[in-house]
Amino acid sequence: MTTPVTRREFLNLLGAYGGTSAVLQAGAALGFMPNTSQAADISLMANNGKKVAILGTGISALTTAWELTKAGYDCTLLEASHRPGGRMFTVRSGTVIDEIGNYQRCEWDNDPHLYFNAGAARIPSIHSSVLKYCKELEVELQVFVNESKTAWVQDDAMNGGKPIRNTDYSSSMNGFISEMLTKSLGKGQLDSDLTESESETLLGMLRSFGDLNEDMLYKGSVRAGYGSGGFLDHGTKRDVVALRDLLKTRLAGSVMVTTQEGTGSGPLLMQPVGGMDRIIYAFANRLGDRIKFRAPVTEVMVKDDGVEVAYEQDGETQLLKADYCFNCIPSHLMSGIPNNFPDEYTEAMNYIRRGRAYKAAFQAKERFWEKENIYGGITWVNAPSAQIWYPPHNIHGKKGIVLSAYNFGGANYTEMSQEDRIEDFLSAGEKVHPNYREMCEKPITIAWHRMNHMLGCAPRWARSRGGWSEKEEHMYETLRAPVNGRHYMIGDQATQHSAWMESAIQSAHYALADLDQRVRTEPA
Amino acid sequence: MKKLITVTALMLSALCSISASAAEGDVGVAATMDDRYCTTCHGADGVGNLAIEAPRLAGMEGWYLKRQLENFRAGIRGTHAEDIPGLEMQPMAEKLSNESITDLVDWIGGWEYVPAAVTVEGNDRQGRTAFQSCAACHGANAEGNEALGAPALAGQNDWYLITQIENFRSGVRGSHQDDTFGAQMVTMSKTLRDEQAILNVVSYINTLQK
Repeated sequence: MTTPVTRREFLNLLGAYGGTSAVLQAGAALGFMPNTSQAADISLMANNGKKVAILGTGISALTTAWELTKAGYDCTLLEASHRPGGRMFTVRSGTVIDEIGNYQRCEWDNDPHLYFNAGAARIPSIHSSVLKYCKELEVELQVFVNESKTAWVQDDAMNGGKPIRNTDYSSSMNGFISEMLTKSLGKGQLDSDLTESESETLLGMLRSFGDLNEDMLYKGSVRAGYGSGGFLDHGTKRDVVALRDLLKTRLAGSVMVTTQEGTGSGPLLMQPVGGMDRIIYAFANRLGDRIKFRAPVTEVMVKDDGVEVAYEQDGETQLLKADYCFNCIPSHLMSGIPNNFPDEYTEAMNYIRRGRAYKAAFQAKERFWEKENIYGGITWVNAPSAQIWYPPHNIHGKKGIVLSAYNFGGANYTEMSQEDRIEDFLSAGEKVHPNYREMCEKPITIAWHRMNHMLGCAPRWARSRGGWSEKEEHMYETLRAPVNGRHYMIGDQATQHSAWMESAIQSAHYALADLDQRVRTEPA
Repeated sequence: MKKLITVTALMLSALCSISASAAEGDVGVAATMDDRYCTTCHGADGVGNLAIEAPRLAGMEGWYLKRQLENFRAGIRGTHAEDIPGLEMQPMAEKLSNESITDLVDWIGGWEYVPAAVTVEGNDRQGRTAFQSCAACHGANAEGNEALGAPALAGQNDWYLITQIENFRSGVRGSHQDDTFGAQMVTMSKTLRDEQAILNVVSYINTLQK
């Protein structure tokens, strides 16, 4: 066992990240706790058969079409692909994965439990607009287990490469953090601005949070899992993993924050029964033949009194004349489609960069994770594949679909061959589960950067980690304002929190509110 | 009242509809997919797309297109670690058969040629002087010369020409031992001293029409 980090070392580290004053001041902000999140009430003025062209069939486009159709607008949706939904894409038996240069067809067993959400996969409880449509369109939801404390953390640099349980990692980390902060209390370094009562409360919380002993030291905890016993016999503690050993991996940032609700993640999320595309098809089936598939847009011209959209279908160029146009074509693809948008608008479209997220999955011959006491959640590995997700549904069933890779930010899978991608996640996974390779059937991979008609995952606006620049804020406002009151850019690209269905839906609501305002003030 | 009727009609159509898994089959997944993926990156009718850094294909000579697709397929082009757009193109080409390449060249040959929009501004008069050495191969009007293996430059996206000249100059393109024509360009591009010189010559090319 190695020496623990000294208090001074730790306080120096704290100082580097803003020090204690930042922590204390945060208390003043508690008044800004958000209210309960509520979905917008969309009540468009009943209409008149005005024609609307909707480009793309992502969730923002489908929301727009659904609300406008209910209000009596005449909507036509143009989709370049063979399927609706954009990045809400579920893979199951027979699904075509239209990745450019890497065509795949899924050959998993034909079973409703055996599916994989290759794009959007989780619904947080605060994403009220998504939940509102699930309710309205009768999409059945179930719990998605985002964190399991029995899942693993594996890094070649830690514990000789042997995986440790999430709970072993997080309980020990909580213990060490509590011990170090406790030592600092009463020395005037952390608590100079606290009253005696506040200090006592903090001390009590730290002791409980870290499961410290009577001497306020962390000497292991049964929360990390029993060494032996625990039911008929008294449970014994497992050996403590030294702090220095825990710090050998950089995975802490992932392991320790998965449960933080607020921006979208959390220990308990939701998913539609049968796959995320149940939401897409709930819209699409109701919209019926208003959607034209394999109909790529080839030109968008904004006129004084409407929008003219050229598209191709069955080898013929067609012209769709509409009063209004809602466009969720990814901006980087829209840049390659002739248009007459203002220069400023084009500049904003060209500015947004393409996300590089990728995922992989396979059909597991058996639910091997359940034999390791895992029933959902995420294993973290230090490899390009990054994550392993275990399906929380169909517990104790025969087979299951394991997500074997999910990462974003770097190129990795985008530039790897199918064979290399599969080898990457197999070699990472078998360090965690010795029988991983043997259990893997019919793997598939998705590199969103190379998916046809998409060529990117979540749009990325800010170029700096520090946040949005003034110029970026300005371009964002430019892009979400309608061109000539006729053409609206929608989708998560027209939001400041991309990658979430909720953002995409709210972008549609934002545009619809603007349209409704215009229609209401039009002379009769 | 009208709104209510619409909603009812929609609900009725929902009742008659098919399940999600069936719907996927219903919207028609092609039994076989061809390799005509170009427009996703290169824009509608191959007009080029700055946001993807994918150049204009419409108007590109068939023989040049064929050679580049073959070079990408063989890894002669698009394998240098710093050629990010090239690295994206290379795997697209890797799986193309000879028949696919012929099909793509024919398909692209049918697209209407429209000169690309001008997006850069340099000193085209100074560029004209520098262009004389380019003209030897690419033609006085940058119209290209198949006999010398030099493609047309006029009408191509100016931002793409700049990137490619820079790539040749730094060896990001043209360094592969089997890239004979690229090697010539590596040498020739060094006659352009700096970024301004590249900008000037591209500005001059912008004044030429195919």
